[in-house]
Amino acid sequence: MMDNKDSIGSAIQGAPEELPSIFRYIQSNEVPGFDTTPSPHGYPAASKGAEPTNFRTGSVFAMPAPNSPTHRIRVPYYSHSVSISMPPSPSLLAEKAQRASGINQPATNSANIKPNLVINSPVVNLQVPKQAKFHSQPMTTGTSRAKGTPDRKGLDSSGSQQRLPRNTRLKDHRYNSFKTWSGALERQISALRGKAPEPQEVGGSKRQPEPVPAPDRYFDALEGPELDTLRASEELVLPEDKLWPFLLRFPISSFGICLGVSSQAILWKTLARSPSMSFLHVSPVINLVLWCISLALTGIVAFIYSLKIIFYFEAVRREYYHPIRVNFFFAPWINCLFLTLGLPPVVAVNLHGALWYVLMAPILFLELKIYGQWMSGGQRRLSKVANPSNHLSIVGNFVGALLGASMGLKEGPIFFFAVGLAHYSVLFVTLYQRLPTNETLPKELHPVFFLFVAAPSVASMAWANISGEFGYGSRIAYFIALFLYFSLAVRINFFRGFRFSLAWWAYTFPMTSASIATVTYSAEVENFFTRSLSLALPGISTLTVIALLGSTIIHAFVLNDLFPNDISIAISNRRPKGTKRRGHMRNAAADSKDNEATRIRNASSDIKENGAAV
Amino acid sequence: MEERELQKPHHVQLQIITTTTTTSTSPADVDVATEKALSKLSMLTRFHAGYFRISLSLCGQALLWKTLSEPTTDAHALRPIIRMLPSAAFVMLWSLALFTLVALCLLYAARCLFRFRSVRAEFAHHVGMNYLFAPWICWLLLLQSTPFLRPHTKSYLLLCWLFSLPILLLDVKIYGQWFTKGKKFLSMVANPTSQITVIGNLVGARAAAQMGWRESAVFMFSVGIAHYLVLFVTLYQRFLGSDSLPAMLRPVFFLFFAAPSMASLAWDTISSSFDTSCKMLFFLSLFLFASLVSRPALFRRSMKRFSVAWWAYSFPLTVLALAATEYAQEVKAEMANLLMLVLSVLSVLVTLVLMVFTALKPNDLLPHDDPFACSNLIPKA
Repeated sequence: MMDNKDSIGSAIQGAPEELPSIFRYIQSNEVPGFDTTPSPHGYPAASKGAEPTNFRTGSVFAMPAPNSPTHRIRVPYYSHSVSISMPPSPSLLAEKAQRASGINQPATNSANIKPNLVINSPVVNLQVPKQAKFHSQPMTTGTSRAKGTPDRKGLDSSGSQQRLPRNTRLKDHRYNSFKTWSGALERQISALRGKAPEPQEVGGSKRQPEPVPAPDRYFDALEGPELDTLRASEELVLPEDKLWPFLLRFPISSFGICLGVSSQAILWKTLARSPSMSFLHVSPVINLVLWCISLALTGIVAFIYSLKIIFYFEAVRREYYHPIRVNFFFAPWINCLFLTLGLPPVVAVNLHGALWYVLMAPILFLELKIYGQWMSGGQRRLSKVANPSNHLSIVGNFVGALLGASMGLKEGPIFFFAVGLAHYSVLFVTLYQRLPTNETLPKELHPVFFLFVAAPSVASMAWANISGEFGYGSRIAYFIALFLYFSLAVRINFFRGFRFSLAWWAYTFPMTSASIATVTYSAEVENFFTRSLSLALPGISTLTVIALLGSTIIHAFVLNDLFPNDISIAISNRRPKGTKRRGHMRNAAADSKDNEATRIRNASSDIKENGAAV
Repeated sequence: MEERELQKPHHVQLQIITTTTTTSTSPADVDVATEKALSKLSMLTRFHAGYFRISLSLCGQALLWKTLSEPTTDAHALRPIIRMLPSAAFVMLWSLALFTLVALCLLYAARCLFRFRSVRAEFAHHVGMNYLFAPWICWLLLLQSTPFLRPHTKSYLLLCWLFSLPILLLDVKIYGQWFTKGKKFLSMVANPTSQITVIGNLVGARAAAQMGWRESAVFMFSVGIAHYLVLFVTLYQRFLGSDSLPAMLRPVFFLFFAAPSMASLAWDTISSSFDTSCKMLFFLSLFLFASLVSRPALFRRSMKRFSVAWWAYSFPLTVLALAATEYAQEVKAEMANLLMLVLSVLSVLVTLVLMVFTALKPNDLLPHDDPFACSNLIPKA
């Protein structure tokens, strides 16, 4: 595709012939064999070159037939570019196009981005230029133009990315594919506010969002214990070297902070009220202060994240499909449960039972969805995606049972306890097995392993509340938790060398809940050992939280990288051409065999099934 | 047997060998009779133990009706509504279940006699082997719901033993295979129908507990529960993906919540009260039921055409309704009674619908080819 810079009304896009820019604009009359027909009245001429291009891409875009009167270019969604000649090397084009797949071409006046370039992604910006002038306007440097090659060499020819002014960055339409309804909502809101719609938006076509990658893609493209490190061979659909909008960088794992702080509030409430710890004379004010802080934090994080849902719904969807991040969707609701558990007596004492049902309803719905995915197989079955973060989806059951039992309910807590227990045993066995098909289990120790301690400790407290006493069942669960805690604590040396992330806050709450269980246990069984434990464990958890707080402050204000670019949601939908499928010997073989075999088997079994209903 | 030589100048010999059946050479008047007999025998090849789903459903229904019509201490119970149904209807249902079961058993006995190879092939198949438990489960359920035998009579005792023994024998064979035999490891053969083996043990445990034999009841219960634990984890892991079961058999996913309901019932009978463990098992099955019902896409492919696999919907619903009945009796709450009513009505409706479908489309029910392809596995003598 050559760009036609002279104003004869055919705006044609150029495929990049070299990196980094997708487009290289050259004069059309320089190119031999290029169909340039000067057309009167600015009507672009149809040329036979257009047709093959369309076919090759198989684009589903609303491209008019090459010979249709393109003076109807005023109508949106129609490209007016018609005069196109074959690119020099189709394979090169295809390669470029594939690399460019998923790029959301920014809305510029000049660029009439060809859908031809984008084989996979339907994201194209069909522009209607102003005043029915069909010629392409030269790209001005410094504006956000179609430069989104996702590869790492990354700078566009203008090299001006770093110097883009802030408002341009905000209006950078590359992020539109992540916005809700592809940015239409934003336009509506700004229209409501009375701002004139930006010129390039007028008649802008509906941008379809980038299709969400399949689970395989997450495994292929990312690595690391939290699946947040990009593999060397992978590319992103968003620019890597720029700082993305804040909302896009705000992950769901930020709710981990709230989890960490609210569990601390519960700890100090227990310390203040427990009869065996009365020698400490812990003041209930600590609980009140911590509770208020955690309430404020929850409010802030919830507000920001709801903004993200409103404005960047596609990004939220991608987080939901991430095998690790999906578990963090339980975090807000568990947090509400923690807040209710840690309620200072000053605020409220007797809570109505209906509140419990309201709090548990979201957890129930999420569970039905996610456990069902485990069971019904397919790409998200447990043997493939099991990882320690799945504990977050289990713990919610036990926390709910604990809260319900402490509120005096009977049947509901048993329901959630039963469901949690059954699925916890499945998860526990699966994680211990470290199945060969399991891709997400980190090879080295990582703070995420502390989540192992969470479920048994909360389960022991829940059972103690359900059955009224800290009986054998609770003790068994508590001792399992204690054992896991110690076996991780003695390996503390192996927890070094990981990049700090906000999700680490979520891993403090297991330590805190183990401390709470210890205090509860020491109220039941009083001896020197339990008392020293009930001093040591809360101390360790409080120190950890303080250290984490310090880390967070340093990263937030000194290093300014508390919210780095959230690359795990920006992986491309297709494997970049030229890279081999990640050699996961058993898994690649198993998976492709899986898919192939399933397909073949389904096809052949279809024939058989219709008769033989075994 | 027919050879034809083409008389051509270049003497090309064209041999066309056709196999002929014996019918082609027998006289014409015997033709029809033998053909009919042979077609019936070939039907035996294609008949398989999966057809016992029908009798499972009917026997389960009979048990449900019997349980619902029992007197209860709960004043709020909705059972008086059920009591309004004439007991004649129950006897009819019971007789229908008995008749179906006897017919299917006779058919299967004929299959064992004439097509033993097929039976062996079925036993080797990872889905078929589990349905060998089905006849004994049906007999036990029928026994428990019988209107005219009392639990402690001699004949009841004898029949109970007679039907539990094959379950124990099958247990030893199949569970042993799970962890010893090369090709039949659990991770290879596990599929939702394996839960029928567990249900068999639990039904036996319940029957034994009703007879008053506590130890045997606890024995069978523990065997069932231990293997259920292993099976539950394995099935949830889905190591094999969705390869283990053809899409037409998706209705057997309902067995996921049949097993814990049956366990809850069995423990209820053993411990003579619906205690916390029973409640937990019942809640688990309720959750799994909700989880399956909220995924209709899972069953879409199997619902395109009526087949005997559809009968797999009915029995689990019946068992769940039974467990809900016991739960409602223990927890005398309105929600529990409502749940019991809803589930019972659902199971009755589903069974009725299935019976209507069977009556309207009997041809779809009959097998069209050999599902286990035993002729490929075992060389013809």
